[in-house]
Amino acid sequence: MDRLDRYTCEEALRRLEDFVDRELTSDEMRRVQAHLDTCAACTDQYRFEGRLLDGLREKIRRISLPADLQERITRRLDAERRASNG
Amino acid sequence: MTVDTPLDTPAAAASFETLLLPLLRQAYGTALRLTRSAADAEDLVQEASLQAFRGFGSFRPGSNFKAWFYRILTNCFISRYRMRRKEQYDVSLDDAPTVYLSARSVQDHLAVAGDDPAGALLGRVTEQQVAAALDALPEEYRAVATLYFMEDFSYQQIAEVLDVPVGTVRSRLHRGRRLLQAALWDLAREHGIALTRGED
Repeated sequence: MDRLDRYTCEEALRRLEDFVDRELTSDEMRRVQAHLDTCAACTDQYRFEGRLLDGLREKIRRISLPADLQERITRRLDAERRASNG
Repeated sequence: MTVDTPLDTPAAAASFETLLLPLLRQAYGTALRLTRSAADAEDLVQEASLQAFRGFGSFRPGSNFKAWFYRILTNCFISRYRMRRKEQYDVSLDDAPTVYLSARSVQDHLAVAGDDPAGALLGRVTEQQVAAALDALPEEYRAVATLYFMEDFSYQQIAEVLDVPVGTVRSRLHRGRRLLQAALWDLAREHGIALTRGED
């Protein structure tokens, strides 16, 4: 693969956040991957970012729904339905 | 005055609840991060559920109910709690080193088990601390970051939920994440992730 098909470190790192979010075009994804295949330093940084975001996501999503919230919502919806039916 | 609702049969109403109820836990989590108050978050989810119920006739069957509902949820948040004036937040991301560089620097100077600086950072911060760091973000960053972390929305979907351009989502999300990571890095350092040589 020649130079035109892969990014420099600077070009790859500029796209790091979009890459981990899968928001790059398929051509950009390919070029970033081509660079990562040959650059341990950038691969390290990409791995760190992805790992950190996955871990933060897992911690943030550990939410418990308040015990009776679902019941309160369904009761309100039932009341709304009865009211609209007259 | 009658409410115009298409949900006048038990089957139709059940259809709405079938779509809504599986979303409640994460919708509550999103509301909690947006409002930063458990009581307000419960009110917000209830209000959004009611508005969605009333407007279910405008929902196109087969389209993305989650994104549709979250649009209602965030509109309720905006109209009820009013996004405050843009807070002053003095940060220049162009100059700030990434957390990766800080973590790498620590690892190079001191023995850290394994080769997982991200894991070392994550192991030093609790769920409550992560939530607090997210809550501390300026509102426009917090809204985007919350939708990003709580749901698997794309930039485009977040843009539609918040009614802002995709470019705005990208810039706010990237900045918000860096702010979040920097705050957690500072916390981890306070709680014992090893300091670099020469620091107290």
